[in-house]
Amino acid sequence: MTSYRLGSGGAINRGQSLTFTFDGRSYKGFDGDTLASALLANDQMLMARSFKYHRPRGVVTAGSAEPNALMTIGSGARAEPNARATVVELYNGLTAASQNRWPSLKHDFGAVNDLFSPFLGAGFYYKTFMWPGVLWEKLYEPLIRRAAGLGKATMQADPDRYEKSWAHCDLLVIGAGPSGLMAALTAGRAGVRVILADEGFRFGGSLLSESAAVGGQPAAEFAAEVVEELATLPNVTLMPRTTVFGWYDDMVFGAVERVQKHVASPSPDLPMERLWRIVAKRAILATGAEERPLVFGGNDKPGVMTAGAARTYLNRYGVAVGGKVAVFTNGGSGYRTAADLLAQGVDVTAIIDARPQSADPVPEGIRIIRNGSVIATKGRYRIDGLIAERSGFEEVIGCDALAMSGGWSPIVHLMCQRGAKPVWSDEKQAFLAPDVGGAFVAAGAAAGQASLGECLTDGAAKGHAALEALGRLVGTLGTPEVEGEYDPSFAPLWYVPGARDKAFVDFQNDVHVGDLGLAQREGFRHIEHTKRYTTAGMATDQGKLANVNTAGIVAGMRGVSPAEIGTTTFRPFYTPVSFGALAGTARAEHAAPVRTSPLHGWARKNGATFVESGPWYRSAWFPTDGEKTWRESVDREVLNVRVNAGLCDVSTLGKIEIFGRGAAEFLDRIYSNSFLKLPVGRARYGLMLREDGIVFDDGTASRLSENHYVMTTTTAYAAEVLAHLEFSAQTFWPELDVRFVSSTDQWAQMSLAGPKARIIMSRVVQDDISDAAFPFLAAREVVLRGGLKARLFRISFSGELAYELAVPAGYGEAVADAIMDAGREEGICAYGVEALNVLRVEKGHVTHSELDGRTTADDVGLGRMMAMQKPDFIGKRLSMRFGLTAADRLQLVGLKPVEADKEIKAGAHLLKDGAKPSTANDQGFVSSACFSPTLGHFIALGMLKSGRERIGERVMVWDGLRGSEVLSEVCPPVFVDPENSKLHL
Amino acid sequence: MSINLLHRHALEDHISGFETDPNPNHLCVIRRPVIFSVLAHEGQETAVAEALWNAEDVAPRFCSPSEWFAVSRTLGAETVAGTLSEIAGASVVDQSDGRVLMEISGPSVRTILAKCVAIDLHPEVFEEGHSASMLCCHAEANVARTGADRFEIIVPRSLAGSVFELLMEMGREHALTRGFAG
Amino acid sequence: MASLITCPHCGTRPKEEFSIRGAAAPKRPSPTAKDEAWHRYVYVRDNPKGRYQEYWHHVAGCRRFLVVERDNLTHEVFGVTDAAELERAGAGE
Repeated sequence: MTSYRLGSGGAINRGQSLTFTFDGRSYKGFDGDTLASALLANDQMLMARSFKYHRPRGVVTAGSAEPNALMTIGSGARAEPNARATVVELYNGLTAASQNRWPSLKHDFGAVNDLFSPFLGAGFYYKTFMWPGVLWEKLYEPLIRRAAGLGKATMQADPDRYEKSWAHCDLLVIGAGPSGLMAALTAGRAGVRVILADEGFRFGGSLLSESAAVGGQPAAEFAAEVVEELATLPNVTLMPRTTVFGWYDDMVFGAVERVQKHVASPSPDLPMERLWRIVAKRAILATGAEERPLVFGGNDKPGVMTAGAARTYLNRYGVAVGGKVAVFTNGGSGYRTAADLLAQGVDVTAIIDARPQSADPVPEGIRIIRNGSVIATKGRYRIDGLIAERSGFEEVIGCDALAMSGGWSPIVHLMCQRGAKPVWSDEKQAFLAPDVGGAFVAAGAAAGQASLGECLTDGAAKGHAALEALGRLVGTLGTPEVEGEYDPSFAPLWYVPGARDKAFVDFQNDVHVGDLGLAQREGFRHIEHTKRYTTAGMATDQGKLANVNTAGIVAGMRGVSPAEIGTTTFRPFYTPVSFGALAGTARAEHAAPVRTSPLHGWARKNGATFVESGPWYRSAWFPTDGEKTWRESVDREVLNVRVNAGLCDVSTLGKIEIFGRGAAEFLDRIYSNSFLKLPVGRARYGLMLREDGIVFDDGTASRLSENHYVMTTTTAYAAEVLAHLEFSAQTFWPELDVRFVSSTDQWAQMSLAGPKARIIMSRVVQDDISDAAFPFLAAREVVLRGGLKARLFRISFSGELAYELAVPAGYGEAVADAIMDAGREEGICAYGVEALNVLRVEKGHVTHSELDGRTTADDVGLGRMMAMQKPDFIGKRLSMRFGLTAADRLQLVGLKPVEADKEIKAGAHLLKDGAKPSTANDQGFVSSACFSPTLGHFIALGMLKSGRERIGERVMVWDGLRGSEVLSEVCPPVFVDPENSKLHL
Repeated sequence: MSINLLHRHALEDHISGFETDPNPNHLCVIRRPVIFSVLAHEGQETAVAEALWNAEDVAPRFCSPSEWFAVSRTLGAETVAGTLSEIAGASVVDQSDGRVLMEISGPSVRTILAKCVAIDLHPEVFEEGHSASMLCCHAEANVARTGADRFEIIVPRSLAGSVFELLMEMGREHALTRGFAG
Repeated sequence: MASLITCPHCGTRPKEEFSIRGAAAPKRPSPTAKDEAWHRYVYVRDNPKGRYQEYWHHVAGCRRFLVVERDNLTHEVFGVTDAAELERAGAGE
């Protein structure tokens, strides 16, 4: 193994050696290396197999655009597939594995695909595996997926934490290269709030790879000095390892910070990654430019990379990409690379310049072939030569690496993510950032600036302009002198003719020039069609290297300007973002907020089983010793309420305090029934409609004083009802004097129901609650024994003598305990929402099972609650429509099985006895069903066509889903105490 | 019989066990604050706000142009109710049991809260004495700046457990401690 | 949709704090208005492209209904006004 590490130089810490493995073999690198630079230093040029043809690949870049060097980092639950070795920061103990190869990277069986490649062009799979269609999903696709692909995701749960954070600033600078640093410094010195974010782990961008001097010192040192100053400014936030991946409405940027990706043993107190939403008044795009690969035969082989990448490995990491390097270029970048290599003692065998002439200074002693081109590369796991062509003459040139430069493309993705398209410039031969308004501008190379000096100046100028716009301009800032910079301009060269091997455009998806031609011939000419037909630009790198070349080549094939071809759509994310970062804390117990009742602790200690009800946890039933099924518990609870008494937590019901001289009028317009004359100290059941005449919600409203009411809503509709009241008060009737606020959380509310409710309640409440003093529907403040003020309501959902007692939430548990104590002799029990449901079905009370967004008040037997004499109430007008009053509407009925041991299930359909199940024969459905322990058989509520006229008729309860048919009798919906005698005890 | 009126805080089960000394970054749960909703009736908004801001030992918290919280850590509910009832054109509701008051403070408080709320808490934007209702850890909360590095958060009781756990989670990297006070 | 809405009462807030209720233009007819007016009010909505007014309920903030005037194509927000204030201003004209 040859060491390609130079003896000195580079921004690496040679004092700190790091050990890592690649495909099980151990290597050494330095602190400051990327995985790719460390592998190159160890002569490991072969890093991957390509997606489709399984061709051997090395690195093409030294940055985030890398299409080839994808690896799986880590193992077990932390294994991360498809990481780009060019941006993976090296740490001690890092393990990396190559992907998409079997049995090994060097001996990959799948490489047979490359031999068959003449048959595997674009669209091959679509054309070949079309028929029979059924085989596609079952056979072809799985096979193709196995053969072609990326790394495998781990199936284990992610052990790490992730979080999200907001950030706010006056100026966001994206990219900490020469322009970004100057912009941030200009703005930072003026005192505005600056965030400087860069995807790399070290600020400086191209300055770190630059051999020119800036301000009289090496470029990397200049960068370090600027960063040092920025770090001292309290108004500047530096965000390394942070990729700004998206630009969203209203200057909100999405970014992901890799907090601990580079750490050997992550801290459990820190997130692995942090997702940022950055709100910026202004932003500067200083993302630089991407060097274009040249598209020539064999341009994908290990050892062929961009000139800039070769320069970065050389100057930043102290790694020579080869011992004998050839350069193929159409601009100044190739010459500068050759000069830098030469300066570090690396042999440069030739510069092949596609142009007939250029003003670029030729380094002394280097052979130059003008008007030349490369038509093939030789070698397999690392090139060992190339075939150059000039004026029809071919020549083999020995080399073990080839640095190519096809010019520069500004990195404008972010500015194009909200619909604006990049603009082609003939002068620059590049797509430039569109004008998206002054708040977000590009600077430096991202804005099409060429030289280092221009970038530094432009960065400072754009920072200056931002300050001006923010109204915070102070002074001016000089830009440092650059010595020894080169001219990176270039002549366009989209495709090198005469290729002897595939000339790849999209390395990651194995799309070559031939595929693009096929797409044009077959009619997929629009660039978006070309993309989808060939998959150019559709890989995980989103075509960072491929897209501009694709446009250029297609333009050439069609004889038009790239301006006419345009680009495909840019969308977030700029680089892949992990699901962990996007989920943040929203997983496991933090997946969604949980609401708990003030009586949660009381229910828990009484053995409750809880059920989720929206965000709430509600006590469902309270199993006692020996009860094995929920039904046993529920049956016992129901019977106990009917015979003795039970206590149920109803704190989750919505509670709204309503005040004002207009409160009565307001309620009268909100509810369908009358509320103007509700006396103080009384509660009333109320029905709310939607404006279309359908029932919205039900509940009670109690008048606690002349201008103070408290409304209750169902648990499920508490938020909707409050919003409905707000909408009505604010937009319909702003002139009404009414104010309201939710007090749901203030009260622990419990329902004490059963024949013995009064005797038990009277042991807890000081006030006289005899039937005379506190009749049915009484509602007022009372004082508990012990002095606590509470609210008592005599309302009943179960049909039994019942009270709802509301006490301040903190006292809920103590009061519930006291009631249980007070009722012990009377046989009190705790009951849950399941028993509550059985009790209300037995009593024929409706819930949202019946009030399902389709029923009118009359449908559910509450037609008497429509106070049509009122001039107006919400829903009044449309409730009068014929369709809502027709006689054949579904109406609420009771159902009981003819054979007493049969079970009726909710959701079943109702058919006339003997009718075939069909949509036409459908007569309605079962809305609620339960076993009634009071009656000893199943009962149900259902919605039946003209149901009230059909009492006594037998219908078939047909449950096709669960396969049952139960002949049932239609009966009134009230099964227990239809005379309401129990309510008025 | 007389009821043993034991008052339980919503976070009783969340803050239990060994009490440690608070770190510089600390989440303090106020045990029995007095919190009232104050509603100004039509046309009385300015007068009610003025009266609230002038009330002694009561901290006003902005909720909406016609709604505030009146918070006191020192006075009893009866006293606050008495003070507030004198404000003409206002209706008041005791929410002391329906809201949980937490105070988060320390050098990293803004970094922690940036993970909990979306709004800019820079002192020039969200000044001392400023308060507003906003989403905090997915719950509707009222957040007030009570010092350079100190904020009060008022959340509905039923959601307090969820919010508390998330606040602690977000404070983990800053060694946030927690405990009851008052 | 916008990412941020500047509430006239609470300041700049993320869209997650709001709940959108739809077009703000339709006005609740009088109880005696014709069937057609009620039908239009409850069921018929234009689906305009471009600039239009929409109710946004600031659920997690001041709980006021706001009228957001925005462009549903470019997502530009032109103004945010309290619905009741707009109603009053309209009545005063």
